[in-house]
Amino acid sequence: MVNNNDKMTRRSLLKGAAAVTGAAAGSGVITGFPTIWAQNIKDIKITHIGQSYSTIKNIQEQANKDLGFTIEMQTVDLTTQMNRMLTQPKTIDLADVGNTSLRYFRGKNIVQPVTAKEYKWWDKTVPLFRDGTYPNGQKASLQGFAPIKSQYYTDAKGTDYSMTPTEWLVGVPLYYNADTLGVRPDLVGNVKIDSWARLLDPAFKGKVALQDGVNVGVPDAAMALEANGDVKYVDKGNMTKAEIDQTIAKLIEYKKAGQFRSFWTNFDQSVQLMASGEVVLQSMWSPAVTEVRTRGIACTFQALKEGHRGWYIMMLAMSHLEGLKRECAIEYMNWYNSGWAGAFISRQGFYNTIPENVKPFMTPNEYAYWYEGKPATENVLNPFGKVMEKTGAVRDGGALWDRMGNIGIWNTLMDEDRYLVRRWQDFIAA
Amino acid sequence: MRDTGQRRPRSFYFLLALFVVYMAFLYGPMLCVFILSFQGPTGGMSFPMVGVSLHWFEVLFGGAGGQGVGDMHNSFVRSMRMAAIVAALTMMIAVSAGMAYRRKFPGSDFVFYASIASIVMPGIFVGFGIALAFNLLGLEVQWFSSGIGAQLTWSLPFGLLIMFIILGRFNPSYEEAATDLGATSWQRFREVILPIILPGVIGIFMAGFTSSYEESARTSLNVGTGNTMPMEITGLLTSATSPVLFAVGTVTTLFSFALVIATLLITIGIAKRRQMRLSAH
Amino acid sequence: MTPSPRMASWLQVAPMALILFCLVLVPLALIITVSFMDYGFAEVIPELLWENYLDIFTSSLTLQLYAQTFKFVAIVWAVTFLLGFTIAYYLVFHVRSGAARAICFAACAIPFWTSGPIRMVSWVPLLGREGLVNKALLGMGLIAEPLSWLLYSEFSVVIVYINVLTLAMLGPIANSMSKIDHSLIHAARDQGATEWQIIRLVIFPLIKPGIAIGSIFIITAVMGDSFIVKQMSGGQINTAVGAITTELNAFQYPPAAAKSVVMLVIVIALVASILRLVDIRKELAK
Repeated sequence: MVNNNDKMTRRSLLKGAAAVTGAAAGSGVITGFPTIWAQNIKDIKITHIGQSYSTIKNIQEQANKDLGFTIEMQTVDLTTQMNRMLTQPKTIDLADVGNTSLRYFRGKNIVQPVTAKEYKWWDKTVPLFRDGTYPNGQKASLQGFAPIKSQYYTDAKGTDYSMTPTEWLVGVPLYYNADTLGVRPDLVGNVKIDSWARLLDPAFKGKVALQDGVNVGVPDAAMALEANGDVKYVDKGNMTKAEIDQTIAKLIEYKKAGQFRSFWTNFDQSVQLMASGEVVLQSMWSPAVTEVRTRGIACTFQALKEGHRGWYIMMLAMSHLEGLKRECAIEYMNWYNSGWAGAFISRQGFYNTIPENVKPFMTPNEYAYWYEGKPATENVLNPFGKVMEKTGAVRDGGALWDRMGNIGIWNTLMDEDRYLVRRWQDFIAA
Repeated sequence: MRDTGQRRPRSFYFLLALFVVYMAFLYGPMLCVFILSFQGPTGGMSFPMVGVSLHWFEVLFGGAGGQGVGDMHNSFVRSMRMAAIVAALTMMIAVSAGMAYRRKFPGSDFVFYASIASIVMPGIFVGFGIALAFNLLGLEVQWFSSGIGAQLTWSLPFGLLIMFIILGRFNPSYEEAATDLGATSWQRFREVILPIILPGVIGIFMAGFTSSYEESARTSLNVGTGNTMPMEITGLLTSATSPVLFAVGTVTTLFSFALVIATLLITIGIAKRRQMRLSAH
Repeated sequence: MTPSPRMASWLQVAPMALILFCLVLVPLALIITVSFMDYGFAEVIPELLWENYLDIFTSSLTLQLYAQTFKFVAIVWAVTFLLGFTIAYYLVFHVRSGAARAICFAACAIPFWTSGPIRMVSWVPLLGREGLVNKALLGMGLIAEPLSWLLYSEFSVVIVYINVLTLAMLGPIANSMSKIDHSLIHAARDQGATEWQIIRLVIFPLIKPGIAIGSIFIITAVMGDSFIVKQMSGGQINTAVGAITTELNAFQYPPAAAKSVVMLVIVIALVASILRLVDIRKELAK
């Protein structure tokens, strides 16, 4: 542990901390933090804003225990967060932003890059984010806003994205996951759910739901339409005007035929829809599936042959950060991916970008279940301690790279977003 | 028709039945929230009830492992503080403005329509407009400046409309009598008008309080750091899905209930005192 | 020195006017300016663009949106008026004790102190396929299969509007009713009028200001709402304000601004025409 009376340079602190952390990794104890020691860091407050699946009070508590300065998390809905970042950037220090929203901040000098050197876990980050490949060397799908499209800046000014690695990171990647359709296996009858096309199957008329909005709902719909042979796409994640027109026209047909029960706007709605049996098939998030299961209701996160819909979240540093505050912010970023927080969130079903760090903080059973797709050797608990899965169950879709290795489309913000939103209005009004 | 001792017409029973049905309709969602807040620990956000427990209240107050309860305590305090200030300001400003409208004056139409415009514009847009204005002026967005300002854009017009209603039923003869007796306009206001319209004024206070407490669209962009209650709840809805939300609903309802009872008692107290003063003549 | 009546009014209305100017009119001016601009990804490009308005006035979407909005306004207005009138009539003319009346009014208001979003959530366990209403209907043998149109439909939107807005009509009407001089009613009864005739010929004409105020509340509330529509329709119904919200959430401010301006003009026109029919201000000016 660092002697707090010594005045050390940042680099030597990092080196020392890394060594200590490495040694302690096996024991699952967090050491090596705080690595910055200064008289006045305890007066520093870092405001971290995000959605409720990443800014969780338990993580805040642990961070405040381990670090010498204060972390204040603020949980808001997506629109509020975006608005705050755009109109009141000085009121926040760090923000969790997903791939659908990153583009809004490009070239606006609202966020600043973090260098790969400052982020101590960069070399350990899964290759998907470092160069867009899987561990087996294959390139990940580029349909939609794939990680490699938004991980690097071309230069320190941060005005443009670079698809090849540079030293300026757009942000620290935190979580990612492969989403797919949630299913009520007990209510679908004998129909085998193996393709996105099932979403449009007349057998499920009035019993399917999609996430509302063009950034997730439309990619899901596109997967279904393509699988069903209704529309052909070049890049589902970046449609042309013609493709958009076809998509909307088809969707209106299905809507008028009564195919969709609802378009959910928040987590709670998606859980309610599934748990109550209002829908039997819908686009869903992993923690929602977990939550439905925790209530003792059968729900699977079904792997489909056309692949999953991928997404990721990055922590971005706001451009006004400088000096000691910036150092503390980076410190927090490093702490966040050092394992404790990552393990917590993994229990919701998300993957952390540094599985090595997460492993010591999970029980062998948990890690095997969530990351390796192995059958559970004992009950699996959700992050708050409730039983979510019984012994013997296997994670839907299997191991990390079975799922992440099969991405059909990434959540996206299309070039023709303007046109898409306009046409989406037509869809809702139909 | 309100004479006591007269037999009630048949219409009374029909109307009573309708009233009861309306009450049931009105209270349906609230009762659902209330009942479901006692949901058992393994239950979800809809029926059936999986046992009955105080579990979710414990989570709300004890923060047992913080099952996505968020920062309820602080946001509650923040909301209360803002609501009290907004209610007081609304009361004073709306009463003053309402009194102005007893006469015709140039610009009265303009202010009136500005008020209507304020209510009609979507909250998010008013909120955004104010945040933008503050930004362009280089001012920082704070709860006590832009936050309260944004909420006033909602509560003041309603306050004004309520004043129209109150003053519409105000009998001017008391006021004329006071003038005949030589009262100044301030005396007239304080001794005659205000006591009579006081229940309505308290109504404006309560309306301002509630509207501030519930408001989120205009406020969310203008409150600076720190959530208000509605923002906290909306934030939770996007992920938390436990009956804690219902527990929150129940607790806040009971709180509001207490407020209303208090208001009622105060109003009745004032009415009684006036009754006594009048009968003492 | 007592100020002239006009001066007095100006001074009294000054604080409100000032706040409205700074917090409503200035932002409105900004919004109008923005509505003529171009836009990129969450940024407004200060170049003149007519397209925002052009799109509004030439596309069928606008018609669809307003048709849907006015449909809701009409239905909600009609039902809240009937309900509000009837219940106000009951409370003012049939309930005999003042205390009971006050309690009834308070009772009408209490549900509104439960937070809006939370109440929205509770409609699902009531109206869903597995909800209480369906269970009751099935249990009573009135239907064979759960009704799915109870939720995520126009029906659920209207039901919630009525639930939330009846009070807004009830209040002003009750207030107008309580102003009515009882001697008028006694006189009518002495002349042999039936209850219905009294309602039609004495009460109704005298409460027009209350109806007008209530109508204003209802119209502005329904036309200005996007939350209830979205939640209760499951995102499947679009209205004028719904479209604005969708664009705001996509950070497309100029078209949202343009739509807001258009909507504002329409609502102001509606309110102005109501006020023309019934002069509320006559009640106040001396």
